[in-house]
Amino acid sequence: MARMSFVEGLVEGMRHEMRRDPDVFLMGQDVGKMGGAMGGSRGLIEEFGGHRVRETPISESAMVGAAVGAALVGKRPIVEISFGEFLPTCMSQVVLQAANLHYMTAGALTVPMVLRTRVGDGPYRGHPQCFEAWFAHVPGLRVLMPSTAADARDAMVAAIRDPNPVLFFEHMWLYHGVREDVPDEVGSFDLDRAAVRRPGSDVTVAATGWMVHKALEAARLLEPEGIDIEVIDLRTLAPLDLDTVAASVRKTSRLVVAHEAWKVGGIGAEVTAAIAESCFYDLAAPPVRIGAPHFPLPMTKPLRDAFIPSVEDVIDAVKRVRAA
Amino acid sequence: MASLSTPTAFLGTPSPIDGISPADRLGLVRAMVLSRVLERACCELNPRWFPAEGEEAVIAGAFYGLRPDDVAAPHYRGPFLAYAMRGASLSRLVAQSIGRATGYARGRALGFTGPADLGFVPWVAGDLGTTIGVATGCALGFHYEGSDRVVVCTFGDGTTNRGDFHEALNLAAVWKLPIVYVCQHNQYSISLHSSQVLPIESVAARAPAYGMPGVGLDGNDVFAIHEAMRDAVARARDGRGPTLVEARTYRLGGHWASDPGGYRHPEDEDRWRQRDPVPRALADLVDAGIIDASGVESIWEEARDVVSRAVALAQAAPEPGAMDLGASEALAASGRDDRQRDPRTGPPAGADAWRE
Repeated sequence: MARMSFVEGLVEGMRHEMRRDPDVFLMGQDVGKMGGAMGGSRGLIEEFGGHRVRETPISESAMVGAAVGAALVGKRPIVEISFGEFLPTCMSQVVLQAANLHYMTAGALTVPMVLRTRVGDGPYRGHPQCFEAWFAHVPGLRVLMPSTAADARDAMVAAIRDPNPVLFFEHMWLYHGVREDVPDEVGSFDLDRAAVRRPGSDVTVAATGWMVHKALEAARLLEPEGIDIEVIDLRTLAPLDLDTVAASVRKTSRLVVAHEAWKVGGIGAEVTAAIAESCFYDLAAPPVRIGAPHFPLPMTKPLRDAFIPSVEDVIDAVKRVRAA
Repeated sequence: MASLSTPTAFLGTPSPIDGISPADRLGLVRAMVLSRVLERACCELNPRWFPAEGEEAVIAGAFYGLRPDDVAAPHYRGPFLAYAMRGASLSRLVAQSIGRATGYARGRALGFTGPADLGFVPWVAGDLGTTIGVATGCALGFHYEGSDRVVVCTFGDGTTNRGDFHEALNLAAVWKLPIVYVCQHNQYSISLHSSQVLPIESVAARAPAYGMPGVGLDGNDVFAIHEAMRDAVARARDGRGPTLVEARTYRLGGHWASDPGGYRHPEDEDRWRQRDPVPRALADLVDAGIIDASGVESIWEEARDVVSRAVALAQAAPEPGAMDLGASEALAASGRDDRQRDPRTGPPAGADAWRE
């Protein structure tokens, strides 16, 4: 058992695959000597050199195009877009090329690439916007958002080995959090499965990223009141594991979905709609979605704190679905 | 290699073609004739086809002689010739253009895509510019593995105004990637003349600013284009980095087959029709004593025969059915690994035998 922070898990996952497979390489801005934004690739250039840890110009579209093309000729590129806020600058490469190539060539080609990026409010308060729902909307992409150090490592390994383009969203608040126990052996991360982080019988809370931890905290605070929450880490946002959520809702009859991204058109909208379709008669109360309000993300701390969903928001939502 | 200091090359100064063997000269011209006949057939079958008439010299000159293990990323206007020169089936291409199930993507992709497994960057989206980025990525893959494989990527003058063009050329020059960028400059972005959207005369003039050589050529001179391409490809294979080639030609047809093209000057069209690259190349072969008048006729005959058989086969093919939709095929099955495929081998791209 090793002790690892979330970012150490990410780097360990990349290191593991770069040692195993010479076709795996990383490219991005500042991924070399600087060690990557927030230490996201620390130590890799020292071990693998500049050929496999490639510094790029500020050219997100060319970087993602380069990853797509390299993947088409048999490489396993990891392309790092420093922050999710920069994804709009390479959107066409992701949704028109990477996502389409396998289907549109009737299966002749695959695009085994990983696009990793940082989202969410973080200790430096910069570049916090969460755009992951855009990509879950587009067929042909896998979208991952791990929330633990072990998943950070193992999901990275699974993403690199997968034959599909994988969007890998790393929540910045989790980066330098507490170190967790991580098994020495790289586990097999199931790219099609959510994870039940805390079993419970009264309310299902399905969450992403940092909100998973807020949901666990809410569960801890509600325990003395005799409220038993089941917390699901959605973690594979596309394809979304609705079976795990549905099985939980059939047990608890109550659903809260929580994410830091905007509520309108978010992952929560998809989860609640799908559960309404499949489990309508199992529900004892209307589902509740927790997400950011529908305006641009403010910068100062008081506004940011008011904007981002909190533990209290989860507790309120749980009480609302119980009261209904 | 022509250089930027001789922009008159754009206007059709005949090039010395001593460096190209008679067999290759014949191959280049047969390819152009095939493209002319095939494109006209596609235009008749599909009023929304994007005709390449007038631009055949650029397409043939750019892709002729590529190795089977190289990658070609042809522009959407006239790509069928690039596919055919590397062994694509003509009947499947025509089927692709009219949306039949025997086309290369089970009815899923655009009409002008081709066989992805023959080393092409396929057309899977309707935007312009992203294929330049993907082609550059293929070159990164070759550079990364230390091989001498290269990429040839063609695009229109309109596409050079996309940011993707700028980003890709800068990246390729920084990393010295093995790719040749070829601007198939037909002077039109749909209805806009290049003078309305490009403030400079020559796209190749931008090359020095990207840190790569730029070559401006008469786009109706197939031999000059091919000669320049051989130099640029050799440069890329040797690890000396990318080149930007600009071949100035003219779109003799509309943007699509039924486009009346009322936005342009009839006298321009007449002037460029005089410079039609296909009869010009055939006349060059006759002048050089490589073929005689009956040889010219038999090149046309061969193209008409093979294309009419391809059209008949394509028209007899079924339309795609719901099965071709493939309910769950947006993602590839986990565990699939395409790296085990052997590199393609075979003769270089040419025109020795068209596949029906």
